[in-house]
Amino acid sequence: MSENVHLQAIANAVIDGEAEDAAEATKAALEANVDPLEILNKGLMQGAEEVGKRFERNEYFLPELMLAGRALKGAMEVVKPVLIEKYSAADNQMKGKVVSATVQTDIHDIGKNIVSSMLTAAGFEVTDMGVDVPIKSIIDKAEEIEARIIALSALLTTSMPFMKDLIRLLEARGIRQKYVILVGGASVTPDWAKAIGADGTAKNAADAVKLAREKIGM
Amino acid sequence: MLNYLDILDRANNGPYLSEENWDLEKVAMTARRLVKKYKLNWDKNELVTDDASLSESIFKAGYEMAVELGSYSRSTERVIEISQDEIDNGIRNMPQTVVMGEGKDARTLYARHLDDERAPLFFGGSPGTPVPERIFLPNVISYMQEPLIDLATCGTLVEVDGREVRTGNPIEIVSTRRELQYMRQGLKRVGRAGMGMLAAQSSVSELGDLAAAHPDYLRPCDSHLVPMLNELKMDHRNISRAVNSLEYGMVNASLPCVIVGGLGGGPAGSAVINVASYLIANLTCLADYHILHPIHVRYIATSTRDVLWVINATAQAFARHAPTIIVSDIYPKSGAGTKELLYETAANAIVNAVSGGHLEGCGSADGNLPNCSGLEARLMAEVALASHKMKMSRKDANAFVLQLLPKYEHVFAAENGNPGKPFDEVYDLQRIEPLDFWQKMYEEVKTELKEMGLKL
Repeated sequence: MSENVHLQAIANAVIDGEAEDAAEATKAALEANVDPLEILNKGLMQGAEEVGKRFERNEYFLPELMLAGRALKGAMEVVKPVLIEKYSAADNQMKGKVVSATVQTDIHDIGKNIVSSMLTAAGFEVTDMGVDVPIKSIIDKAEEIEARIIALSALLTTSMPFMKDLIRLLEARGIRQKYVILVGGASVTPDWAKAIGADGTAKNAADAVKLAREKIGM
Repeated sequence: MLNYLDILDRANNGPYLSEENWDLEKVAMTARRLVKKYKLNWDKNELVTDDASLSESIFKAGYEMAVELGSYSRSTERVIEISQDEIDNGIRNMPQTVVMGEGKDARTLYARHLDDERAPLFFGGSPGTPVPERIFLPNVISYMQEPLIDLATCGTLVEVDGREVRTGNPIEIVSTRRELQYMRQGLKRVGRAGMGMLAAQSSVSELGDLAAAHPDYLRPCDSHLVPMLNELKMDHRNISRAVNSLEYGMVNASLPCVIVGGLGGGPAGSAVINVASYLIANLTCLADYHILHPIHVRYIATSTRDVLWVINATAQAFARHAPTIIVSDIYPKSGAGTKELLYETAANAIVNAVSGGHLEGCGSADGNLPNCSGLEARLMAEVALASHKMKMSRKDANAFVLQLLPKYEHVFAAENGNPGKPFDEVYDLQRIEPLDFWQKMYEEVKTELKEMGLKL
């Protein structure tokens, strides 16, 4: 089986959201001596990008995104140790760690889930903390996993001030510059994001991925 | 009869399941399977259907989902199991009439049947929209004073006395009570003190809801929201809202905002989830009536083709098979001071009127900005009443809506939507009347609607 066939099988498994197939295809590719970096970039990421495109075209919905995320995660577990062994800077290939959360008092998760899934599909390592997450917990998690990006969501206008509080708390702790802070939600505007000192916002999940890439120089 | 404390017990002691598995393995997979099993399809050119067998299939699929899945407590990560008998009892016990308000201003909400002789009722207000305190009172009066409006609702106060409101903070208590004070004041000002309200919209957590359950604020003859979380989920906060009504009273309005393009996939799966949500909400939200408010995953608005179809499918499924009181939120993409808002409102009004819903609106500009006014609520009521009086068929309703769509669909592709103007830039705040340009736009759109055949 040629390298391209292996890579295509991996991409297809991600596109189809088949976690077991993705892991198996990745194992098979490694056994056939396909470079792990090629597996990451031309297999997994290729599949992930196609999933993102289909979502944008209304051909895929949230379940397909979530399934692709699962497939990607399963395959990454197979390829990551090999990548790290072969490339000392392998972690950099993961594009960056993200902590995502809907801020405290807000229980809306669909938008945040879509962005988390799209970021995962784009190769970011996303720790999704769920909804109604206290700002202190978000910062503690970001510190613990050495995240580069903190992605905050709030649908409710009366929960949005907690995003501002988080930034102020980072400043008070003297660690604001360590993080790229992205904010989102139906009521979040670019002006508001700027006013609270965030690093950016995006109007949809695809733009959020572009913004995240841009902000960490990918 | 299921005791509500049983729901609490089940939320605390039901089988453990991770939330991700609930979402994906249970809700998404079940929706996908049922859409295939019942061969459910939607047609982007048939937004008002008149297909009894399709409606029956959607109801059956939703019923099957409700029986199979039950509900889920996000607070405890446990499944709230509900038996088929309990679902059936819930259907049997769905209120057919609910009196809201008091005295001469009281209105009786009723479960609409398909082609019901009785006219739909109208809630006026921009439900849940963030509104600054300085314009809150004139804004709610702009709806309350409309003669066709039967019941009042409102936006959310986002600041009180210049202080930013934060959910779950003690200031939420102040903002919710302040909202109710303005509402009661507004009703008195327009001489309709007994009008029923769907309010405490500033209560985003349970705090405000608990604080407002007092005859000086939210009366037992008023209603409050008991939301479900996407999809088919509850949490202790929302269960607390239902519990809050147990002895005090208050009319419970269940609010499952099914995401079209979310876990249900496309419109067909979303309609199935919406049907299941109401059957579950009968028990978990103690629903006296149900709010119909599907949300578009990308555009939010209720005026997109797929969301209009879901509204039509859900309302008809109940109107044909298990009539219950359904009040449909109208959330147009466009804001006040734009013609598109009026076209979107008209499309929503017609779809609901012929499908079995009462109406509530409008959450103009996606309910994101205070760009809303009583004038669009007037049009909502006028259009719905006109289609009702004309006995508009669903086929004609569909043809009418298809003519309206090209007049506003471009707003979904617009970079920044079509937000229009804030309330104080479309209304004279002293006289509480539309400014000339806004009144003129309304008249022009009405003329167009008449030319299209609507007997306004």
